[in-house]
Amino acid sequence: MRPLEEQGLYDTLEVSKDASPEEIERAYQLARSVWEQGSLAGYGVFESGDVERIRERVELAYRTLRDPEARRAYDARLEEAADAAAQPAAARSLDPLQAMDDLNEAEGEFDGERLRRVRLQRGLELEEIAKITKVNPTYLRFIEEERFDDLPAAVYVRGFVVGYASCVGLEGRRVAKSYMTRYEESRDNPRRRLFSRR
Amino acid sequence: MGGRPDRELFRGDERPVRGARLLPVGGGKGGVGKTFVAANLAALLARAGGRVVAVDGDLEGANLHTALGVRRPNGSLAAYVAEREDDLGKLMEDTPIAGLRLLAATGSDLGTPQPSHERRVQLIRDLRRLDADFVVIDLGAGTDAAVMDYFMVCDDGIVVIAPEPTSIENAYAFMRAAFYRRLQLAMISHDVRTIVRVAMDEQNDRGIRTPHDLLREVERIDPGEGARFAATMRDFHPRIIVNDARTAEDIRLGFAVRSVCRKYFAIDAEYLGYVNHDVAARSSIRDCRPLVEGSPKSSASVYLARIASKLLAPDRSAVREEPV
Repeated sequence: MRPLEEQGLYDTLEVSKDASPEEIERAYQLARSVWEQGSLAGYGVFESGDVERIRERVELAYRTLRDPEARRAYDARLEEAADAAAQPAAARSLDPLQAMDDLNEAEGEFDGERLRRVRLQRGLELEEIAKITKVNPTYLRFIEEERFDDLPAAVYVRGFVVGYASCVGLEGRRVAKSYMTRYEESRDNPRRRLFSRR
Repeated sequence: MGGRPDRELFRGDERPVRGARLLPVGGGKGGVGKTFVAANLAALLARAGGRVVAVDGDLEGANLHTALGVRRPNGSLAAYVAEREDDLGKLMEDTPIAGLRLLAATGSDLGTPQPSHERRVQLIRDLRRLDADFVVIDLGAGTDAAVMDYFMVCDDGIVVIAPEPTSIENAYAFMRAAFYRRLQLAMISHDVRTIVRVAMDEQNDRGIRTPHDLLREVERIDPGEGARFAATMRDFHPRIIVNDARTAEDIRLGFAVRSVCRKYFAIDAEYLGYVNHDVAARSSIRDCRPLVEGSPKSSASVYLARIASKLLAPDRSAVREEPV
């Protein structure tokens, strides 16, 4: 496991990325009790100055993750990092000819149907994408079918789309921007909701 | 922590595909219930249909046989240690529990109870080759090399703690010792191995107190070894059991210790579960019969069964879920 400074804020609070505000609050209370003076779990290790450093890190994680605005900004940074990390891996597995086709694919608007087409060209199953992105395959299917009402909040969907796109060798951020416009439009427009497949 | 490291011990990637899975049960402190946990988990794994061998690794204080209801064992690991017998199969015997065999440790030569270094390497190799699904090893107290080697050859040994400061203190010392020993074997460069040896002394004058400090130092000396170090850190997942838990606070202690391991030591410990305080546990020890056999419905048995089912989960990620 990496040293604390290199652990993410979710790892610091030992919660999952989709933790609810209540879970974050609980995790923080637990962390506080662990790292306070005289705690049983800290017996024999709290003499060093490292504890102050750990407490600060816990406070930072809590401050960031309990504030929806700060949390969104942090998640976006995480996605970008994941995006950057995913790109070279995706690029490596492609042959140059297909990559050239993709350049054409990478223009214009991206809807669910188009994502699905690219995926099939790549010969990828949803399950394989799910395994790589750790996104539930049902959500991936909903993204393709544009079942916007069945998808979670925009901040998550954006992450899912970035992951999906990177997996099929597309530029995550560009695809997500285009796709999320469709998602937001549908959410803003209740009339259109009536026609969404349910 | 003496004894020189031997690469033979650290060959995670060369483990036989169908070899027995070693489950060392340690914790550093005496009296926290290592033997109780080991005996009951062995019985539960056997009852679940596994072929299980319970090994008494405590050559100087053997009593796993008693916990399993074998009054006078016929064979003993002591004969293997003394090099009078090379075939572990001949030293094992059946227990009253179907599917569970015992390798006892009675009758040690008190002058030289522990195996020589070479013999210990051979023993671990032979344990892995046993015709069994699980080999549960009840370790002695302390952090002596003779105890640690069984633990550190496994990615995921079990650390039993009791909710008291003495146990916590020893448990950290135990995990730290296992980790450093493992690390020393994983490192190739002479300079880096020297640094690891320096770090093992908690009072070292280089200011290296935690694996985290050591990683920084290793990365500075040799980035390649730094990467190997990080991989070793990543693969080491000691699993914590809180025994004799009486309060909600005691139960939470497992999470707290896991948190200290992750943040302070950068050791990715897991919380496997807890066993609550149960008067039936004490009488089971008096009756020389595992609790899960004599009182399978008692509350401590139920918690032990939960732990055993996590050990049986084929997917590691399932084991890494939160307990309870």
